[in-house]
Amino acid sequence: MSDAPFALNKLAPPIRMALGITGAALLAGLAILVFGIWPARQKIKALIAEIAQLNDTRASMERDIAGTQKQQAVTEAAEADFQAFLDLGVLEPLLGSFSMRGKSLLDPLAKASGFTISSVKEERLIPLQVPAPPPQQLYARQLVEFTGHGAYTQIVAFVQAAEQTFPLAILSGLRIESQIQTPERHKATLTFEWPVKGEKRK
Amino acid sequence: MNASLHLNLLKDAERFSSSPIRPRVMIPLLAILSAAGLGVWWMLLTVRLGNAVHEKMVREASCAELKPALNQVLELRAREKEAYAALAQLGFYRASIIRFGDTLMRLPQHVPESIQFTELRVPPPPPMPPPDPTTKVQPLGPTNLVEAVTLRIAGRASSSTSSEAVRSLLDALRQPAYSNLIRKAEIPKGAFRQDSARGPGSRESILFEITCDCGERRFK
Repeated sequence: MSDAPFALNKLAPPIRMALGITGAALLAGLAILVFGIWPARQKIKALIAEIAQLNDTRASMERDIAGTQKQQAVTEAAEADFQAFLDLGVLEPLLGSFSMRGKSLLDPLAKASGFTISSVKEERLIPLQVPAPPPQQLYARQLVEFTGHGAYTQIVAFVQAAEQTFPLAILSGLRIESQIQTPERHKATLTFEWPVKGEKRK
Repeated sequence: MNASLHLNLLKDAERFSSSPIRPRVMIPLLAILSAAGLGVWWMLLTVRLGNAVHEKMVREASCAELKPALNQVLELRAREKEAYAALAQLGFYRASIIRFGDTLMRLPQHVPESIQFTELRVPPPPPMPPPDPTTKVQPLGPTNLVEAVTLRIAGRASSSTSSEAVRSLLDALRQPAYSNLIRKAEIPKGAFRQDSARGPGSRESILFEITCDCGERRFK
């Protein structure tokens, strides 16, 4: 153990001091390199990349913002087209009821054609095929069943008037049954369908 | 015995080199200078890092400033996309529109006097098939793009030429006047029979049924 510091003890003090200073300086330099310079360079590299990305983002934002007016016009045109379609006769419930709405729309036509509506029933809601990309607000087909009586010509005149007045109303079910007691007046069950708002996509 | 004798009484540490650059001094000095040089580099990097952090903050602030205006554009785009997607979906509905009124109005012209309709029927759309439990992601809507539409005419013919009357009605339904709605008209097997319910006296009374395949409703 007396030789513990090994050969250092055998060296002269000035040489030992020189070696000590050299070693300490090298250690300090290494520490600066490993714990200071290397991480700082990495951070700077990452920051430069982030700044470049921010610059790109900003440039793209500026481009997008520059097109606001054009986009506004395009959006308004799209919404006007959409509204025009809705105005063609996308059915809105009346007091929460599609059958009430259907009745309110078709009653005047039935009266004009001579067809007597005795009952109106809200039928199934059939989801509509979905395009890609799908809208948030989905639309569906609402079936409304009208039962009544009338002569064949009156029933058909009612169907014709409904089809002509409401371009989006489709006769999707029909049953005209002859009545033994009233050969000129038949029982008719007509199912009309309209597009309506369906579920909202999650 | 002339051999000269050199006596060296200096210790190793007391011996000086003849070189003007003494390694014992220069090596530690170079090491210290190197460490100092690295320290200066570190300091410069730290300053540069500070500048970069500041620059990043400035850019972020500038992007944040533009955010409300950008959000406005993005919202406009989303509205446009939604309007077109909804229009596309409603377009499927519009493409599937089928009209019966004119055809039904024309029908009496082609019905022989001896024929009386007992029922005229267009069955409503079939119910949706139940969701497939094996499918992980259920589709948002029906996947069928077409829907068959049929028109079924049931009636009674009471004359000596019942079958001719029914045949002429069937032929009329195959005329171009009906081709915009009716693609195919036929009497299903067993749907042309004697009206036994009316008793043996009505031998000439015949019940018939005509099934017409109408144009499909195409949701595309």
